[in-house]
Amino acid sequence: MATVIAREVRDGETVAVGTLAPVPASGVLLAHLTHAPRARVVIMNHPDYWPFRQGSKEFYDFAQRGGFDLFFLSGGQIDRHGNLNLIAIGDAGRPHVRLPGGAGAAMLYYLPRRVVLFRTEHSPRIFVERVDHVTSPGSGPADVVRPGGPWTCVTPLCVFRFDRERARLVVQSLHPGVSREDLERQTGFAVEYDAAVAVTPPPTPDELRLLRTRVRESVARAYPRFAATVLAG
Amino acid sequence: MPVPGHVGSDYERLRPDFTVIADPYAPDQRVMLVPAIRCDVALIHAVVASPDGTVLLDPMEDDALLAQASRVVIASAERLAPADEVRRAGPGVVLDGIHVTAVVELPGGAHPTLVRGVRDLDAAHFEEYVAAAGDDGTFARYLERWVSGPKDHAAYLARLG
Repeated sequence: MATVIAREVRDGETVAVGTLAPVPASGVLLAHLTHAPRARVVIMNHPDYWPFRQGSKEFYDFAQRGGFDLFFLSGGQIDRHGNLNLIAIGDAGRPHVRLPGGAGAAMLYYLPRRVVLFRTEHSPRIFVERVDHVTSPGSGPADVVRPGGPWTCVTPLCVFRFDRERARLVVQSLHPGVSREDLERQTGFAVEYDAAVAVTPPPTPDELRLLRTRVRESVARAYPRFAATVLAG
Repeated sequence: MPVPGHVGSDYERLRPDFTVIADPYAPDQRVMLVPAIRCDVALIHAVVASPDGTVLLDPMEDDALLAQASRVVIASAERLAPADEVRRAGPGVVLDGIHVTAVVELPGGAHPTLVRGVRDLDAAHFEEYVAAAGDDGTFARYLERWVSGPKDHAAYLARLG
């Protein structure tokens, strides 16, 4: 997932990673060390990648001005239309599961030019036909300023791209070894495929080496436990 | 106050206090308004504070904004120092004493959360909290051990060991 995310980063872009996002942080750092040395990188809770001095308000103001080219979001539920639910599973007043709340997600899905979704669990309880509550809509009314929106969605099984015209997640590539049957069994909505659906290029030995060395050392400054376990590989 | 985005989300359904209006500066666009949050009391924890209320705050958090939204602001701090030293002790957000009602020297007052650059978060304590919070009985024991049990902050720190 981190290498797929790394390939989404373009050199020279301004890229931000929010809180609770160690996989995107790893991918963005990998890109910064390889093909995107001139990217401007912002990572919440990382002391080396936090250019703001006036609190997270300065970060949100920067995002509201459209300062970010690429951002990352996730959800307790994600549906086929790219809608995200960070509010609650079940009735919002008496939830089955109380989710953490949207924070800036209802703004950060609109303003950065491209938003890459990520979720480390690909299962029918996460990828649902229709989210219980829409914290952040994948697409919305035309009379609301929205320069950006969903671009791709990266999971442990596949990469979806967001088809903006039809407001649908469509499978762009399956990871090596994942069959359509596996994917469809683990997805709670009817899966649609690109005509040219591909196999996701696996991480190269160089990418894996960097993830386990320099990326791991840097990610540890924001996510020590993730660096010590997942990236220890 | 206006917020970008949001229109088209279920905040319109779940938050009747959020209003959508035609943008007065671009009438073909709609924009969401949310009421400003006004707090009676804010409790914030500073890296260092001076007795005149000048505080140095975490540059990644919004404690300065919270303080400015609150009628009464009580700032605890890892240590006390003269105001000119607080202003130079960065990195961080400096908030002047005009926003602060009272300052309390309270090292470890943010436990189990972190004080960036001074104290790490206590991951083991968070795990204990999460394990306890799943059940009313275990949570009551957690509260007794860490909240209602210790008679003051010194007793709390002593229990931490």
